[in-house]
Amino acid sequence: MKMTPAAIVAGSLLILISVVLVVIVLPYANTSKTLPSDLFRSRTAMEEKGRALYVSNGCVYCHTQSIRSIDWGLGAERLAQAGDYLKDYPILLGSQRTGPDLSQQGGEHPDDWHQAHFTNPRYTRPLSIMPPFEFLKQANLDLLIHYTQSLGLKNADLRMERQTLWKKRSVNAYEAGVNENVAWIHDNVPQGWRDIPTPYPATEAGLARGEKIYQDFCFGCHGPVGDGMGPAQPYLYPPPLNFTILKGRGISGGIIYYQIMNGITGTAMPYFKRELESEKIWDVGNYIAKYFIDEIDANEEPKGIDASYEP
Amino acid sequence: MPENPTRPDTATYLTARGFCLTSAAWMMLATLVGFTAAIELVAPDLTGNISWLLFSRLRPMHVNLVLFGFATPALLACAFYMVPRLLRTGLYSERLGVITVVLWNIALVALVITLALGVTQGREYAEMIWPIDVGIVVAFSLIFFNFMMTVKNRKEKILYVSVWYVLAGTILTACTYSLGNVIWQPDSGALVGIPDAILLWFYGHNVFGLLLTPFSAAIAYYIIPQVCRTPLYSHTLSLLGFWALIVIYTHIGTHHLLQVPVPTWLKVVAIVDSIAMVIPVMAFLINIWYTARGKLGLISEDIGGKFVFTGTIMYFIVSIRGSMMALPDVQRVTHFSHWVVGHAHVGVLGFAGMIALGGVYFILPRITGKPLYSQFLANFQYWMILIGVVGFTIVLTISGLIQGNAWLNGETVYRVLPQIHIYNIVRASLGLLIFLAAVSGFYNIFRSLISNPGETS
Repeated sequence: MKMTPAAIVAGSLLILISVVLVVIVLPYANTSKTLPSDLFRSRTAMEEKGRALYVSNGCVYCHTQSIRSIDWGLGAERLAQAGDYLKDYPILLGSQRTGPDLSQQGGEHPDDWHQAHFTNPRYTRPLSIMPPFEFLKQANLDLLIHYTQSLGLKNADLRMERQTLWKKRSVNAYEAGVNENVAWIHDNVPQGWRDIPTPYPATEAGLARGEKIYQDFCFGCHGPVGDGMGPAQPYLYPPPLNFTILKGRGISGGIIYYQIMNGITGTAMPYFKRELESEKIWDVGNYIAKYFIDEIDANEEPKGIDASYEP
Repeated sequence: MPENPTRPDTATYLTARGFCLTSAAWMMLATLVGFTAAIELVAPDLTGNISWLLFSRLRPMHVNLVLFGFATPALLACAFYMVPRLLRTGLYSERLGVITVVLWNIALVALVITLALGVTQGREYAEMIWPIDVGIVVAFSLIFFNFMMTVKNRKEKILYVSVWYVLAGTILTACTYSLGNVIWQPDSGALVGIPDAILLWFYGHNVFGLLLTPFSAAIAYYIIPQVCRTPLYSHTLSLLGFWALIVIYTHIGTHHLLQVPVPTWLKVVAIVDSIAMVIPVMAFLINIWYTARGKLGLISEDIGGKFVFTGTIMYFIVSIRGSMMALPDVQRVTHFSHWVVGHAHVGVLGFAGMIALGGVYFILPRITGKPLYSQFLANFQYWMILIGVVGFTIVLTISGLIQGNAWLNGETVYRVLPQIHIYNIVRASLGLLIFLAAVSGFYNIFRSLISNPGETS
């Protein structure tokens, strides 16, 4: 083959043109006709402004918005569909998960949690390696939170309604006083859970494991001594629960377990069922009960069948 | 056939000199930014609330600076030296070339400032705003014009394979850059929804495969036969490698979107032809390696040849990895993880970067007519980069596998952070080696060009 300048330039351009026809124009012809998915809605002006901040601060380099069939974590209940992205301009799928996927972040936490988190991510998530975004100033932080709370669109709206409803209830309970607040928290735990003590003994090893979990997950809000005065506290309302006042107020291992597992929607207390397996929740519950509440029911009756590993 | 150009001639090679300095200088900033960003992954509060030092602003700056500040200018420097030599004529216009260098540097300054301020279009490798995009497309067009006019004035009838790659790489990059940056939409530089993802990854893929790969191949084809003092192994393989690269590389960008709702047939095309990438890759590598067969002694004695040959080995690694990653079963683990970052480093630093530096060290004595300012520094840089990039590959592959398998197994991203912490520390330490290599390289290249005490040979 004779490689003349014309053959090289025209040949490679012709190849490029035909490739573009096949891999860009042809898919465009059908993907541009995608119909809206079940959760699709347009974003409000404020949400679009927040999205612009998301773009300009490079959030897309660490957070994907692309749920795959193999995913487990946040948002895994809803596989991404082409119809979710109809107004994404540009699309922000992301290519790295240095932080969690945010496709369904909207309504996962109340606004005040995000306020603390953006101010310094380690306030709410002690192990986070996300940069602090306090420099954005309040007006921009509000926009960014607005956008964050819209992620998941219609699904996010449903979750936000739930957050608003329970925010009101939790604030009412908090403002009614300590006794009422604790009673309200306990009342929202199903009876079966309230009745069971921690089924495992509070061994030295178990408490050490619980301490590690506490420092990795709970420390930011509930503080080093469990009095609810962690670094996130000034941003949160109702404020994080002070464990040290719970003694003699009908606490049980089951209540602690249930609240850690399920969270308290409307407050900054997230659910940890995705992040912590059963034993880890019991261990951290024992740790809190032993050192902060000073009232522990580990390994008490009713126990059921004796666990085989017990010494 | 490349001649043996040890004699200095009357040519000034101003453009090549300009691009050498451009590359050396920006490599320092590019690697410093990467190093800083790597530290922030270990110590996220290090730079406090300084917005322009945010990890998420440094990351695109690092990527774009490595691509357009370090690798591309060095590759262009070699092209501006070798195209006229291979055509036995002078460059059509050194003046136009120097204007291109200046324009290029203006674009880079604008790139750094805009990205630091968060002025970005938010699409990977296509972050730059419209005026910078236009500047880059104009620069590529000027370069193409300069090369084409040089080709027209040539005294050598036969075009050597390096010239094919340079011509095709320049014109195809000008096209895919315009297309990928949606240059007809100055405000956003984007399409809407899924079509935007398809176009973005078409571009994100080709900005490497139609820019770094052809230019690096051109340099390897030029330098290895000269260093080995032997003709190229096979003309047929050159032809196969060249056309196969352009046909196959251009349409596999969708392998970045295998887990995204895009048309299935497009994914199938991308997967099948990602495997078919073995054809152009091995055609090129067999050609180069057979040329070098039995001549490794000569290569190890020539700093340029050493860099370039190492680069071809890295090309083998990055390409096999790339084909593997396109397999859906592999991608279930590797996607979104550090594995991909490792792939990028072995590709851009190990393959294109090593060959670009090899090209620079090969042409410097030939442009200046004096020996390199310091062989020691060049060797120091070689080893720092080799250790750095092999280290990156190992560390990022391990931490990528940890992440990917943990996620697949149901652990949340947050839970895996402590597990990859130590690897992030090693990664940052290796970044320091690369930065030191960049500084020593700049000093060496600067002294070789500007105040070289060496005797004119």
